[in-house]
Formats: sequence, C-alpha cells, structure tokens
Amino acid sequence: MSDVPLLAVENLSVSYPLKRGLFGGALTLAAVRDVSFTIERGRTFGLVGESGSGKSSIGRAILGLTPSSGGRVVFDGTDVSAFGERLPLSFRREVQVIFQDPLSSLNPRQTVGTTIGQAIHRHHDVSHQQCQREIATVLDSVGLAAYQAERYPYELSGGQRQRVAIARALAVRPRLIICDEPVSALDVSTQSQVINLLIDLQHAFGLSYLFIAHNLDVVRHISHSIGVLYLGRLVEAGPADTVYSAPAHPYTQMLLASTLVADPRAQAVRSQARRRQPRSEPPSPLSPPPGCPFNTRCAWAADVCRTQMPTFEAAASQDRHAACHRIDAVASSPRLGGEKVARSAG
Amino acid sequence: MRRLLLTRLLSVVPMLFFVSLFTFLLVRLTATDPVAQILGQSASNEDRAEYAHRLGLDRPLADQFLGWVGSALQGDLGNSLYTNLPVAESISDRFGVTLSLALAGMLFALVVGIPVGIAGALRHGSRWDRLLTIVVSTGLAVPSIWLALLLSLVFAVTLRWFQVIGYTPFAESPLLWAWGLVLPAIALGIHTAAVIARQTRSAMIEVLHARYIQALRARGLPQRRIVLLYATKNALVPVLSVIAIQMSVLVGVSFVIERIFAIPGLGTLLIDSVVRADFPVLQGTVVVVAFVVLVVNLLTDIAYGVINPKVRPQ
Amino acid sequence: MSAGTIADERSDAAVVEPESDVRSHTRLWQRLARRPLSLTCIAYLVLLFVLAIGAPLVAPYDPFHPDIKLRLQGPSAVHWLGTDDLGRDTLSRLIFGARTALLASFQSVSFGAVVGITTGLVVGYLGGWFDRIAMRVADVMQSIPAVLLALALIGVLGKGLGNAMLAVGVIFSVSFMRITRAVVLAEKEQLYVDAARVLGLRTLSIMLRQILPNISPPLIVQASIALGTALLIEAMLSFLGVGIDSTQVSWGAMLETARQFQSQQPLLPIFPGLAITLSVLAFNLLGDSLRDATLPTGATAESSISRRTVAPFAVSPTSVHRPEAPADALLAVSGLTVAAPRPGGGSAELLSDVSFHVMRGETLGLVGESGCGKSMTALAVMGLLPPAVSIAAGSIRLAGTELAGLDDDAMRQVRGRRVGMVFQEPMAALSPVHTVGRQISDAVRAHTGLGRRQALARAAELLALVGVPDPHRRLQDYPHQFSGGMAQRVVIAGALACEPELLIADEPTTALDVTIQAQVLDLLMDLRQRLSMSVLLITHDLGVVADACDRLAVMYGGEVVETGNVEATFSHPRHPYTAALLAAMPRGEGVGSRLATIPGRVPPAWAWPQGCRFHPRCAHAVAACRQEPNILRHGVRCRRADELTLTDAR
Repeated sequence: MSDVPLLAVENLSVSYPLKRGLFGGALTLAAVRDVSFTIERGRTFGLVGESGSGKSSIGRAILGLTPSSGGRVVFDGTDVSAFGERLPLSFRREVQVIFQDPLSSLNPRQTVGTTIGQAIHRHHDVSHQQCQREIATVLDSVGLAAYQAERYPYELSGGQRQRVAIARALAVRPRLIICDEPVSALDVSTQSQVINLLIDLQHAFGLSYLFIAHNLDVVRHISHSIGVLYLGRLVEAGPADTVYSAPAHPYTQMLLASTLVADPRAQAVRSQARRRQPRSEPPSPLSPPPGCPFNTRCAWAADVCRTQMPTFEAAASQDRHAACHRIDAVASSPRLGGEKVARSAG
Repeated sequence: MRRLLLTRLLSVVPMLFFVSLFTFLLVRLTATDPVAQILGQSASNEDRAEYAHRLGLDRPLADQFLGWVGSALQGDLGNSLYTNLPVAESISDRFGVTLSLALAGMLFALVVGIPVGIAGALRHGSRWDRLLTIVVSTGLAVPSIWLALLLSLVFAVTLRWFQVIGYTPFAESPLLWAWGLVLPAIALGIHTAAVIARQTRSAMIEVLHARYIQALRARGLPQRRIVLLYATKNALVPVLSVIAIQMSVLVGVSFVIERIFAIPGLGTLLIDSVVRADFPVLQGTVVVVAFVVLVVNLLTDIAYGVINPKVRPQ
Repeated sequence: MSAGTIADERSDAAVVEPESDVRSHTRLWQRLARRPLSLTCIAYLVLLFVLAIGAPLVAPYDPFHPDIKLRLQGPSAVHWLGTDDLGRDTLSRLIFGARTALLASFQSVSFGAVVGITTGLVVGYLGGWFDRIAMRVADVMQSIPAVLLALALIGVLGKGLGNAMLAVGVIFSVSFMRITRAVVLAEKEQLYVDAARVLGLRTLSIMLRQILPNISPPLIVQASIALGTALLIEAMLSFLGVGIDSTQVSWGAMLETARQFQSQQPLLPIFPGLAITLSVLAFNLLGDSLRDATLPTGATAESSISRRTVAPFAVSPTSVHRPEAPADALLAVSGLTVAAPRPGGGSAELLSDVSFHVMRGETLGLVGESGCGKSMTALAVMGLLPPAVSIAAGSIRLAGTELAGLDDDAMRQVRGRRVGMVFQEPMAALSPVHTVGRQISDAVRAHTGLGRRQALARAAELLALVGVPDPHRRLQDYPHQFSGGMAQRVVIAGALACEPELLIADEPTTALDVTIQAQVLDLLMDLRQRLSMSVLLITHDLGVVADACDRLAVMYGGEVVETGNVEATFSHPRHPYTAALLAAMPRGEGVGSRLATIPGRVPPAWAWPQGCRFHPRCAHAVAACRQEPNILRHGVRCRRADELTLTDAR
C-alpha cells in the first residue's frame, strides 16, 4: 500500500467552454492538457507557471471545483475523478485547500471560530465543548490565540487571515493540502512566516502539499519535487534540486533567469542570462501555436518544434523528465543553474 | 460591429414571439369569459356558442395562437370585441402620440439628469452636492400624476401659458405640437431625470477615483479636458443601461399622464380594454409596446457598443 | 540564517501583532441611529404605521361620511385640511389612505421579495437550465413596461387592490430575482464558497448560511426602495380607477378626485400628493442610509476622511538635523512630512521627515512593505496627493525648483513634461473606452503645440520606442486589446511623451508575469540610458532593486530608515529592518530550511509606535529605542547602527 503515491494525477486535462457565438460553434479554452505527476506521502510537489499556464486549474480539478475533461485523479489508490464535482465526503476530509487571497477565502460574516467549527462539525461528530477545545487546539497549532476565535476576518491582518485559512484546512485533519499561491498576496516578512508555518506543520502532521506558485524561488524553498507548466502543459518535472540547479527545458531556464533575487551580484549573473533570452510575448492560451507550445519564444526552436509536440521523457537522469525536441542541444550549451546563483550569493 | 448589430437584431424576433405567447396564455388561460362579458348573463347557450365560434374561441389554443401570429405578421391584430374596429388601426392612430410623449420625457430627463449628476460628482461632498442630492431624492419620490396636476394647475389653469388639455397633431402644427408636449414631458421625465442624475453622479464619482484619471493628471492634462473628454465618456457606460430600462418605465407611465392631459395616446385605449376585458386590444397593445421597448433596448445596445469597445466582438 | 531576527514562529502572530483596529463591529442599528436623516425617516415611517393601524381611533371623522353642505372646503378649525367634493374630511381620508398605501406596499414587496430572492438564489447558484429559463422569462416580462404589465394582469385577474398589488408583486419578483442572481453570481466567485465546497458543506447550507447573509445588504436596500416604488404604483393604479374599491381610501384615488375638482378647490391635490411624496422619500432615504451603513468596514474610509485639510503648508522645516542632498541632485526631497485628518479628529502623519535624493541618470529604488508610505511619497512629488492629504512640512526640489506648495496649474507644467509616472496595474492606468493613440497623443498635446495628426505621429514614435510592434496600427486599438506587458509599455510611452527628466515608476512590474516583468525592467533601464533620465523606482521587491537600481532608500512606517548604494547596503545592511527584510527573502536554499522572519506587521499610520517606529519588531531594540525617535544620520535611522553588526544577516 505504501508503494502507492498519495496522489497520482494521470493525463489530466481541463477545458472551459467560452461563450458560444450565435453562428459559430462552442469555443473552448484548453487550460490543462495531458498533465501527469505524483505526490508522495509527507512530501511537497511544487507547480510553477505564469498566468495562463493552468496551474490553478489543476488544483481546482483535483478538488472537484472544476470538472476535468480527461484523465484521472487517483487519491491513495482510489480513482476519484469519476465522481466529478460531487466528491464523496471521505475524500473531502482527506484533501483540503488554502487559497491565495485570505480575505476572499474567509466568509466575512462568520467569526474565525464559526468558520473552523463548521469544518469540524461537518466531518466529526463532536459535542459543542469538544468542538471549542478542538478550535483552540487548531488555532494554537497555526500560531493564533484562542481568543481570536471571536474575531471577524476584517479585524485580522493578512498574515493572520492566512493562518485562519490554514487552520480551517487543518481542522478536518487532512492528508493533502492544495496550496494555491498561498503567499503571493502577502508582504515579504509575512510571507516567510507563513512558509515556515507550512514547513512546521508538514513535519508535525506528516502532511503532503501541492504547492502552486509563480515564483520559482519560493517553490524551490518548500518543494521536494517541482513541475513546470507552460500553456497548460507540463514541460519539465523532477526533484527540486535537479530542476532548479540544472534546468533542462528552455522555458525553465527562461523562468529561472527571469526570477529576481535580492542580491546584486547574483542578480547580475541572472540578468545577463536573461538578456540572452529572445524577447517575445507569450501566445494566447486560446490559440497556442502548433507543435511545442514554447516554440515562439525559444532560442533553440527548429522546424520539428513548430510541427510536432515533443514527448515527455527522461532528461539527463531517470527521475527528471522534460518535453523538448532539442534537449541535447540545450544541454550542451552554457546555461544558468539556480544552484550557481545561490552559491555565488552565499 | 455589424455582427453585434445582426445578432441583437435577430434576438428581437424570438423575444417578440415569447412576449406574444406570454400575453396570449395570460389572457386566455386565466381570463374571465369574454363572451359572457359581451353578451351578458341572459344570453342563451346557443348564442354564446355561436358568438364564440365567430370569434374563433372554440378552436384549440395552439391554433388560435398560431392564427393570431399569422395575421399579426400581415399587420392584422384582430378586431375589438366592443367597437369591432381593427386593433391595428386603433393602435397606429395613437402609437405616434405615446411615442412622442415618451421620447420628449426622455429628452427632458437626459438634458436635466446628466448635467445635474456630473455637477454633483465634481463637487462631491460639498454643500452644493448635498443640495443636489436632496433635490434628486425628492425627484425620485414625487408621483408624476401629482406633478402633472400641479403643473397644469399652475401653468395651464392659472397662468394660461398652455392649453389645459388636448393635443395638436404634428402634421397640423409642429410648433403647437411641441408646445403641447412641454408640461406632460416634464411631469413624465422628472422621475427619470432623477434616476439618471443619481446614476451619473455615482458613476462619475467612481470614474474620477479611477487610476487612469490619476494617470491622465500625471501626464499633465488640464482638469477640464480630463473631465469632459475622459471621465464623462467612461461614466456614460453604466448610465446607458439605466436609460434603456427607463425608456420602458416612461412608456408605461405615459399611459397615465396621457389621461391627465387628455392626450389621445395608447393609454386610454389600453385602460378601456382593461376595464372591459377587450382582449384583442389588450394583447395587441402589449405586443406593440413590447416591440417598441425591444427596439429601444436594441438602440441602447448599439450605443453601448459605440461607447464601450469591450463589448464589440473581435 | 539570521541571529536575532527570528522570533518563535508559533507565538509571534498572536502576541506581537497589535490588534488591528479597535473592535469596530457595531450593530447596524447603532450606525443608523448616528445619522439624523435616517432617524427622521424612521420616525416618520413609525408615525405613519401608528396612524395607519390606529386610523379609526386617530381620525377625527369617518372618512366616508359625506356632508354636502361642506363640500370642497379649504382648511378650517373644523376640517383641518378641508373637505372633498362630497364634503368628506381630507385629514381623515389621508389617515385611512395610509392604511391602504402601507398594506399594498408591504403585500407586494413581501411577495416579490420571497419569490424573487428564492428563485434568484437557486438559479444564481445552480446555474444551468434553471438559470436560462428564468432569465428568458425575466427578459420577456421586463420588455413589457411595469405599469402596462400591471394593467394587463388586472385586466386578466379582475379589478381590485389585492389583484393590483399581486400584479405589482409579480413585477417586483422579477427585479428581485435579477438582483439576487447578479449578487449570487458575484458572491459565488468568492473563494470562501469554494472553501466551503472543499469542506463538503451541503449545497443548501452553502446557499442559506454562507451566501445569503453576505448578499442580504443589497437586498434589504432594494426592498426599502421597492416599498417606495410600490406606493407610487398603487397611487397610480388607484388614480386610474383599477386599484381600490369603494370601501377603501387611497391617496391615488384622492388625486383623481382632485383632478376633477382642482379648478374649484386648488388645495385639493396638495395633501395627498405630499403624503405620497414624503412616504416614498422616507423609504428611499432609509434605503440609502441602509446602503451606506451596511458597506463593509473599510469601504467607508472615503466618507470618513473629511474634506478639511490639516495644518497649512509650511516650507520652513523645524527639525534638527537634515542631511543635505548634493547640490547637483535632480530630485531632492528633504524633511517631507505629509499629514491627513484622522477619522476621530486630529491628524496623522502618513510620512514623517522623509529625505532622499535622485542624481541625474541614476535609478533610485524606494523600498518597503505595503503601508510604509512609498506610494504616498511618489504622489507628493507629483502633486497628486488625495484631497484631504497635504504636505505639512518639508521641501521637494526638482533641479532647484521648489515643488512643494506649487498650485495645480504650475504643477501641471511639471507633471508629464518634467516628471513622468508609471503605475502598478497598467490596465487600470488606461481609460478603457479611449484608443491608446488618443491617450498618448493627448499627453503630447497637453505640453506641445502639436496638431492632432502630428501628435498621433509622435505617439506612434513613442510606441515604437517602448517596443510595441506595429505601432501605427496599434494606435487605434483599445487597452483591452493589449496584453499586460504591452499595456505597461503603452503606459510608459504615455509617461515619456515629453521626454521627462525624471520617471517615477510605482511598482511597475508587480502585476506582471515573471518573464514579462524582466522584459519591462530591461526596457526601463534601456530607456533611462537612451533618454538620459533619472528613475525613481518604487517597489516592495528587493529583487527588483538588486536588478535595476544604483542606490536605494528603505522606508518603514512613513520614514526613510536607510539609504545607500545598492551593493553596499545589500552586503552590509546597517538598519535592522533592512537586514531582516533581506534575510526573509527565499533564495533557493534546500527544501525545509527555515526562513528568517520579522515578527508582527507594519502598524497603520494612526498607530505608529512611540520612539523608533520599528522597535516593537526589532530584535536589537533597547530601552532608549522605545522612548526617543531616531533621526536619519549618515544614511541610517538607528541609534545602534554603529554598534550592531548585521552583515551576516543570512
């Protein structure tokens, strides 16, 4: 049983119907196309991508908030994608979520205690006193005091609200938490508090995370494995160290070169690499180019890239995969590794 | 743009069909029996059956409806149960009168409402703004029938600047026609003017706080140019949809105003048909008015597309 | 990792963070009671209710009792408000009319609200076929004017007040349904609804316990306004003679009587008309007050900042030690203090003694977390402070010209011509209904005598300069046709219209994607060189500073706490806040390593701590830090700067 990953996403696709014209057929936006990855117990899988990459859609599809249009989501050996949006309560107890905007993700007319209490009541048959004790315990575990159960969301700071959102997820004692950009809306100092808290909770409760973010440095900090998304497709995935220090896919390299680091010398290295990148706008997710979706922005793009979609195969090592026709050409040219940056920073 | 126009134009057709069906079902399914109404309680069963047959009321409902639609498409809306006059003719005689009153009311509402709303927004929070807000709130609360009575009492009965009642057709004298519409249009338009002023004010306040207004100031544009060219156009976007809704309100209320000023519009025809349960007239009037409202909505949509580039299909 | 800045994670949020605002959770009723206007409305409506209920006891006469001898009387001691055509007492009829008016309004509105809100909630939340059918029906009903629909329904159902108000109720149910559906659709997008679904809460429970309480404010407001509308429609229908029967009294019917006899008794229409107007006004104003009172906390800030401005402007600063900017600095801000009136009275300093300078051709990064006063500083330089906010002291010199205290006309010659500005969200900084060509060429024309066509040609040049492909064609495009990165280039083009000496960029890349952010930064740096401008780059992101800036000024709590050369400051931060901020950035350490944190958060402007503003969050604070404020000396605002070694922050 322990061989089975906690969560396996297999060939997942998500598409949204856009408005139907009076004469034309239905227009669909293929937000996620044929994405596969697994999350091990007690581990974090980081998903990185820019807007329009489909990273949030993957999280929402796993949670049953958005119907998938293809593929499977297997949780602990059970295929849950067949249930569609009506996921069984047992799965709801196992998988919880933390969203980006903590103000919008808390009901403004409910106190912190009510918000957490209703989560407990839905999943555990407890008395009122037990529930109050439980609320106090879970608030304590996210670094809030019991009296803050009386507070309304607008009375809290951004960081405190995000702690409440984490507490609500923890309250049902899940095994997997989908973290959808949990720190993007926070200030630097609060961001590091929340990241540390997530790491502590993972150690304390053996949680697994799907950590979705746009900042490669943040994802790298918390993830054991990383997947990089571009226009709805997974272009590279593998152990965090490998992907970060020796990115194989040209897009991962571009992303890393574009990620700013708070160190002038290290940043100088990155910006040099960045200025070597071709300048172009990402294509619209509505009309991705034929072949490799990245070919319009890729320095290595050849004819084959413009016609054929590359397969997702092992690159340089067994556990790291990338989807690139020109992986060997890319590998032989000088490139930027994140580890080098970090070292020169230290 | 052309595609938007075409789509909107085509959408009027099913709407009209549904409006006709809706009115038809309403009238036929829940109505008191028109035959009994006309012939009276004393009529014999044979007479009733014969009369119902003559009116086609004994046919299946679907037949009756399709028959009505068929003749309506040829411009025949049936005959009045009472006067036996063709409904289409009665309506077309009075239609222009109601429409000109409603349009005059809207013109008044726009000319008053938009400047008042802009003035309030530009001095948001000042004493002047508060005064305007009170005036506008009162305008929203005054019943137009009362206003009509007071206006005719002061300006027609006492000062004799206007005729107390009556209507001069446009063909007879355009000047008298316009003059005669002044009091009814004001009585009719005040409420709409208040609604538009309110909407304009809040839209304008929001626009003036928008980041792009700050950006325009940061580029050194003169304040007057920012307000007149940029803020107003942006603020008009939400105001337009209010105008569309208000046009429908104006047509409805004009039926009542017509009665006070004894203007021979659709109002009298309609109210008589309601009182007498004259269903062909009722049905015809509702469908024609709905058609007008739909056309006005269409025009507003087009204006909306002109002002707001986002709704134009790419 | 940092030595002292890491406090215990588990407790810091609870213990160190100051409670946000005082518990401002007052009841709706209390908030309403604070407004005299709402109190008046409530008092009037209560009086109306009492009169309506107690009509037989209160009314001086039987409203139906005719007295032909006393017909069409004016007000007198016997009949306070006069009599009608049959000699019936007007006051008594008004009092009984209130019964009809209120009964009819409440009947129709409660019918409309119950039916409309229920359907709206269901179709809005569930969507799909229900929604399409309901909206189709609503479209059909709304293409028939309300008065006409009411008349048609009465024609079908038969005359009488009950039927009339049922008809009005049906009309209201459509508008309630539309409004409920619209707010439900918006509310459904809120993440707390998703969170509730993830928790497995039942659909009915989500609709009734999560969504309904949050959408009730606009519905209550709507109900209040609908009551007034219902009253107007009842009057109109009774006026037409299709409302009440002979056993009831209606203000509308009284107006119909007045119409017939007003030439004989001109006072006849006055009182029923007044009664209707006042009652409708009361319902409407109550609705407005409810709307204002139920706005979510925080949204009322605009109204709570009064229009008055604080202390008059004074250029002569009185503070002790002021670092002198180099004489050849392009922009020299010195001792800038900006104040705003506080909601409770008095004033709060949003910026205190802010001093920094920007040399020609240089990029200065102004860094800090949200709420530290970076954007306020930019607006002060631009002369674009919000109405209630003003410069209380200090000076802003642009190449020797004093900007503080210039009037708006004089500032207009500076804005756009000598100083350009770029904003955080490019889409918000462009008017959505004007072409970009129009917006850029207007900026050109504001400062040059160019004609429309020449200005457009210049706009195309500017678009080419900032790297927008196919500039001539794109002049005719609207902002929504641009991607975020391209829109920011358009905003930059607008700011460069007159080749300003200084470009202020307020978080220019924050809203953009990582790869696009890099491109826009490169563009800014490239333009700085080509146009030999200076750039004041405002950002919260130390990575942006590291990438693009020559020097930086770190702000905290409305003060500049440290200035210096970027390389030097990053490797040897001298202020504990700078050091802590640097340490808190993740920089690709292995998984699971802890980040340094700063406990607590930035306090709001009206709660700056005594003494050093950073001391409650500072790991190095001593007793003196709690009492006396620091001054900016040798580029750092910390009394312990010389004794601390913060270099090893990571």
